[in-house]
Amino acid sequence: MWTLRLAFLGLLYLFLAVLARSLLRDLRAAAGRTTRAAGVLVVIAAPAGAPPVGATLELETITTLGRDADNLIVLDDPFASNRHARLTFRGRVWYLEDVGSTNGTWLNGRPVQGAVAVGFGDEVAVGQTRFRLEPASRA
Amino acid sequence: MTRMLGRYLAGLHFRPRGREASLLLLAAAALLTGWLSLATTQAGRFSVGDPVLLVVYLLAAGTIHVLFVVTGRRTDQVLFPAVVLLGGISLLFMSRLPPTLVTQDAGPLGVLTLAPLQLVWLLLSLSVIAALAIVVRRDAWLRNYKYTWAAVGVTLLLLVFVFGEEVNGVRLMLRVGPVAGQPSELLKIILVVFLAGYLAENRPLLAGTSLRIGPLDLPPLAYLLPMLAMWGIALAVVVVQRDLGAALLFFAVFLGLLYVATQRPSFVALGLFLAVVGSVLLYTVEPTVRVRVAIWLDPFAQALGSGFQIVRGLYAFGRGGLLGTGLGAGLPSPDGTLAVPALHTDYVFAGVAEELGAAGAIALIGLYLVIAERGLRIAARGADDFRALLAAGLTLVLVLQAALIMAGDLKLVPLTGVTLPFVAYGGSSLLGSGICVGLLLALSDAGVEAPAPPSPLTRGERWRARGRGVAGRLERAVR
Repeated sequence: MWTLRLAFLGLLYLFLAVLARSLLRDLRAAAGRTTRAAGVLVVIAAPAGAPPVGATLELETITTLGRDADNLIVLDDPFASNRHARLTFRGRVWYLEDVGSTNGTWLNGRPVQGAVAVGFGDEVAVGQTRFRLEPASRA
Repeated sequence: MTRMLGRYLAGLHFRPRGREASLLLLAAAALLTGWLSLATTQAGRFSVGDPVLLVVYLLAAGTIHVLFVVTGRRTDQVLFPAVVLLGGISLLFMSRLPPTLVTQDAGPLGVLTLAPLQLVWLLLSLSVIAALAIVVRRDAWLRNYKYTWAAVGVTLLLLVFVFGEEVNGVRLMLRVGPVAGQPSELLKIILVVFLAGYLAENRPLLAGTSLRIGPLDLPPLAYLLPMLAMWGIALAVVVVQRDLGAALLFFAVFLGLLYVATQRPSFVALGLFLAVVGSVLLYTVEPTVRVRVAIWLDPFAQALGSGFQIVRGLYAFGRGGLLGTGLGAGLPSPDGTLAVPALHTDYVFAGVAEELGAAGAIALIGLYLVIAERGLRIAARGADDFRALLAAGLTLVLVLQAALIMAGDLKLVPLTGVTLPFVAYGGSSLLGSGICVGLLLALSDAGVEAPAPPSPLTRGERWRARGRGVAGRLERAVR
């Protein structure tokens, strides 16, 4: 009864083919999605007005903050150093570290030493400018 | 009671799962065709045989699908059909082996033979999958009690060391009253839960560098201790239980998770080095290991002795050829003894390959690959470290196990006695694999971890809180 035998094998492969198509569809859908920033900084206080209060700044995996123009986030803040702080996204967690600033970097009102993990909703202060880390909006 | 039921029903919202439904229908069609093929071969003419077992199995799978739909779960729709097909192939294969291979007095059900027993275990396994996928909404009970789980695991291990029964020289079985089981199947899952919790908590520390030995960047020494402990446990499992497979699986899963958590090749290098050292050590100390390696290198030297099983297994693969002999037409005929020892457990892959051929064997491997892809995808989508590591670990347990035993049957690696998930005969293995898939499904649910509404404690919750008190004290003591 070789017909039944082959029919069984054929159906097994049909199942696998349908599965493969379904997996491919998922993969394509996932690839088509634009890669969003893993987080944003919302400006909650900026005495010098740049960046403006309420602005959302998209973060990259390594985001540098400081007065220098080559920082990803440039601060117009006399209390900030040229190269002030760095936010890095490692795996699934954001880390904040001070990169040798004069006035220090603050997380929720405490000075930052070494790399510390930052959660969404935490407040980051660089010079007189204060930010809040938030997940990227789903818009 | 009725009010509670009413409130529960009001909370239900149907959510159709089209992909799962069509995949299940396809799996059912394939399995029924397989049954026709088997019955026809056995009867010698076209016959429908007595498909009660398979029909019961398919109905159970369908019921669980309906349950998923009714409860409105948004879990993965591909894993469950793949598992159902694997289990169905297992049921077909067990139906064609000598029924008296395994018999067990199942109380009210009477004395059950091989295929009905496997059906009972498969149904239990599917129920475990359904229960976990539907009920588990939060993971705090796994996440926050990792040391408790570790303690449970170590206790299980010690119980087996002390009270375990030896079967074929391997100390695996633990008997509690009439129920006998292999705790190592449960231990694998507990290990993954503990590792996921531990690694998620200590990830930033593990990723740091403070020790340099030549080209290796190592984390602080204190964080290497768990690695050494794992290594020691794996060695102990081999020496005391003579269970090579479980030890290899434990260590491989551990290394895999460590790499997933830290992305540091130096860990893997160090782990592999430890594994090599351990293997050499065991090779010199344990005669069982030496025999395993010898019959792997040249089974034909002892073709009628220790290499008998491997040689017979290879013949079975050869008899199968490309398209197989057809279900029921292979050499392991229902009346005689088994052509390959342990054909229903360790060598089930050889049996399936004989009757379904290379084509069927590759299809089986394909199904495990699908499970791997889905599992790792669930891990990649995990909301946080713990859930990602847990999903990755559960997937590794299932897939590495399948790879180890399939490669062992094919004489690609030394044979180790792990089971082929969802296909090999055996209750502990089926339940363990069921827990893995159930948790994976629960983790894949987009709606899991909805915050619980605050409400006064019911009596049940007070009891649970008291239980948590004990476990919580243990957690704090370890920390």
